[in-house]
Amino acid sequence: MSEALLSVRDLSVVFSGEDGPRTLIDNLSFDLGKGEILGLVGESGSGKSLTCRSLVRLMPSPKLKITAGTVTLDGRDITQVSEAEIRSVRGRDIGMIFQNPTSHLDPLMRIGDQIAEGIRVHRGVDGKEARAVALDILAQVGFPHPSRQYNGYPHEFSGGMRQRAMIGVALSCDPRILIADEPTTALDVTIQAQILRLLMDLRETRGLSVIMITHDLGIVAQTCDRIAVLRHGRLLEIGDKRDVLGQPQHPYTQNLIASHPSMPARQGTAVAPNDNAASKARPLIEIDDLHVRFPVTGRALFSGGPREFSAVKGVSLQVMPGETVGIVGESGSGKSTLARALLGLTPISEGHVAFDGADIVTERTKALRKLRRETAMVFQDPYNALNPRLTIGAMLAEVLAVQESVPKEKIPERIGELLDLVGLEREFADRKPLSMSGGQCQRAGIARALAVNPKLIVADECVAALDVTIQAQIVDLFRDLKKRLNLTLLFIAHDLAIVRSLCERVVVMYHGEIVEEGATDKVFAAPREAYTRALIDAIPDIDPDKPLLSPKGGEEFDEETPGLVTGEAT
Amino acid sequence: MHRYKFVLYRPLQFLPVLLGISIITFVLVRLIPGDPARVLLGTKSTPAAIAAIRAQYGLDQPIWLQYLYFLQNLAHGEMGKSILYKIDVLRLITTRIEPTLALVLCSVLLSLVIAVPLASLAARSNGGPADHAVRFISTFGIGFPPFWLALMLIIFFSVRLDLFPVSGYGENLADKLYHLILPSLTIALSLSTVLIRSLRTAMIAELKGDLATAARARGMPESVVFWRHVMPNSLVPTVNLLAVNIGWLIGGTVVVESVFALPGMGQLLVRAIFSRDYMVVQGVAMVFACATVLVNFIADIVTVAIDPRVKQ
Repeated sequence: MSEALLSVRDLSVVFSGEDGPRTLIDNLSFDLGKGEILGLVGESGSGKSLTCRSLVRLMPSPKLKITAGTVTLDGRDITQVSEAEIRSVRGRDIGMIFQNPTSHLDPLMRIGDQIAEGIRVHRGVDGKEARAVALDILAQVGFPHPSRQYNGYPHEFSGGMRQRAMIGVALSCDPRILIADEPTTALDVTIQAQILRLLMDLRETRGLSVIMITHDLGIVAQTCDRIAVLRHGRLLEIGDKRDVLGQPQHPYTQNLIASHPSMPARQGTAVAPNDNAASKARPLIEIDDLHVRFPVTGRALFSGGPREFSAVKGVSLQVMPGETVGIVGESGSGKSTLARALLGLTPISEGHVAFDGADIVTERTKALRKLRRETAMVFQDPYNALNPRLTIGAMLAEVLAVQESVPKEKIPERIGELLDLVGLEREFADRKPLSMSGGQCQRAGIARALAVNPKLIVADECVAALDVTIQAQIVDLFRDLKKRLNLTLLFIAHDLAIVRSLCERVVVMYHGEIVEEGATDKVFAAPREAYTRALIDAIPDIDPDKPLLSPKGGEEFDEETPGLVTGEAT
Repeated sequence: MHRYKFVLYRPLQFLPVLLGISIITFVLVRLIPGDPARVLLGTKSTPAAIAAIRAQYGLDQPIWLQYLYFLQNLAHGEMGKSILYKIDVLRLITTRIEPTLALVLCSVLLSLVIAVPLASLAARSNGGPADHAVRFISTFGIGFPPFWLALMLIIFFSVRLDLFPVSGYGENLADKLYHLILPSLTIALSLSTVLIRSLRTAMIAELKGDLATAARARGMPESVVFWRHVMPNSLVPTVNLLAVNIGWLIGGTVVVESVFALPGMGQLLVRAIFSRDYMVVQGVAMVFACATVLVNFIADIVTVAIDPRVKQ
């Protein structure tokens, strides 16, 4: 490593709350070299984002204070400089990009103007010159038609293009350091690969130093030179990525690496196709040429016929009892709509869906009654899917009382059993979601799903919001439950690695259609379709020597397919 | 530009709305107890005279037929004759519309002039003394009814300090505006309390939000963060709030015009109700309803102009 460009020494940040001060960052020291990409890795609450905010003194709350340490840039300690001076550091020396480009870009301002704004303020040039520079930057970050796209508003672009725009805004003042805070977490894998490629190209062309904050060791392995592992505000280890990934010193780092879904150890546990399930006569789910269309909202009264958006276009699928099927695809692929249509939660435009022989279209009442009693869903956001005012026990009791499958006096006992099943202590019956961690809430959500004694569980991105170590635990829980309860599981995810480790069969969706399906190991080993291949190749592997997909051209901005532009939560 | 297409077709949707409004006002006005003919004749009323008046104004016809006549007249640009003033209601209204329109416009402008700086001040010192002061004032303001506020303003500014006229309306533009200051201040003080609360909340959320963080992270001074990013994004919900409050605002003009003796539509309405002047009451109610529809339409246009995401 060359001489350090930015040097952090003994940095401590303290939160002064009502019950005394809490140290959130504890004696942190690291260097960032010129042209280096440093990965800052850790789970939620590890202080990785806060560290980077502290570098430019952008504290998320006035209760947070830097209490000790120095951050040296160009020989001066920027924790001590005046407010005006730190402002000229922000943007000019250190640029930042964030996880969610949608909320960090101004929705009311043209993206070109947002890039030009920084140029005008920092370099004091006039509007025309700023515009010229902004056009140049737009081209650099991969906008194919800069002069036209200069005038676009953020909502007119896809998530990937928005992230490119935000990178453009960060680069507008030609900073030497770029802090990238989970820059690809909200993006689809193929788009993620493109954005990571862009960041690495920019490092080459501009000699940019990057601090990459991420929870995904695969991204670190693919893009970074060095890795720093953080936990509870402390630096556990720092070093060359091959050293840290190859011979992790700290047990926490070892666990983090072992939890990564692309690790061979986890792949090995993938279940072989279930023969006795396949031999059974009747499939549990039969989907035949299913179409789901939504009217496009906001259409004009006299603009001609109604416009529709096809979310699912002619999907046929059969799932046998006891099978675990993964549905993968990027945002807008229709995977969630398919699941909702299957559960009778969204109107079916055409085709047939039958659950255990009951057709949702022709025998709607009967099928719905059956579905409500024999299926359950686990949602993505564990906090929002639970009622914050109910204790876990009350929530489970409610389901059991409505189902009337358990006599009233036996309900407390059954609640205990359910908590045992999902690996929660029985005392959790008296707790409310707010006092629980994300992983515990998701376990409670699974317990609620199990309370109906379901034949089928549909899990929609149910681990996407969780830390990797917790993800691994939840996936293990599903594997265990499936074996013990002979559940049929429909596992919807954008993360192929998780599907690979859990599901026997995988269905790949793209633009509302099934492009490929088959036994998981076969699909992953020898994908037939180019799209599946691209999806698999785009997963950042934890092995640094398996490089990411080579760069693709920038995507067009897409006005015709709303599903693609707005995207679903990922 | 296709986002503005609704400006062309939306007015067509107004037709059924206006028809509904006319039916409701027509029927409700006739539910008011009392007989206009009796009121008109006063002490001279004899059964024969009452019958004559009723026949003259068509009040002896069944109500649905009266409504059809009303619609027919409306198509010819007439709203029927005022029983009290003996002239066509539409002509009567045109002579009275100016003070009310001026009052509403001045009130809205004044309330923005009051609300925007105060809300900004409060939001930027979130939790500080300025914030507490502004919140105290706005809570205070909500508590006081306009008629009381109007009287206090008259006592203080007109009677004590002799700065403004007690009542009435001027001759030329400057004089008219001078006469409008206290009445519009009365309405603006009430209206701005609602606006301050909405604007302050929106601004605080935006100041803490990702947008402001991103702007600060690229070194924008706090003034740029506030005026270029926080302010426009906070104004969007406030414009809609203002439109929703237009009905309340019109109700306010009725009271304020009465207190300040402004010869506007509010005053006309009050007098018409007391004298059971059906035609005038329903004419004024129609105009107020149309104004509400129109203001909401304008608010939609403004929202589309501010926010590129909105499609009507």
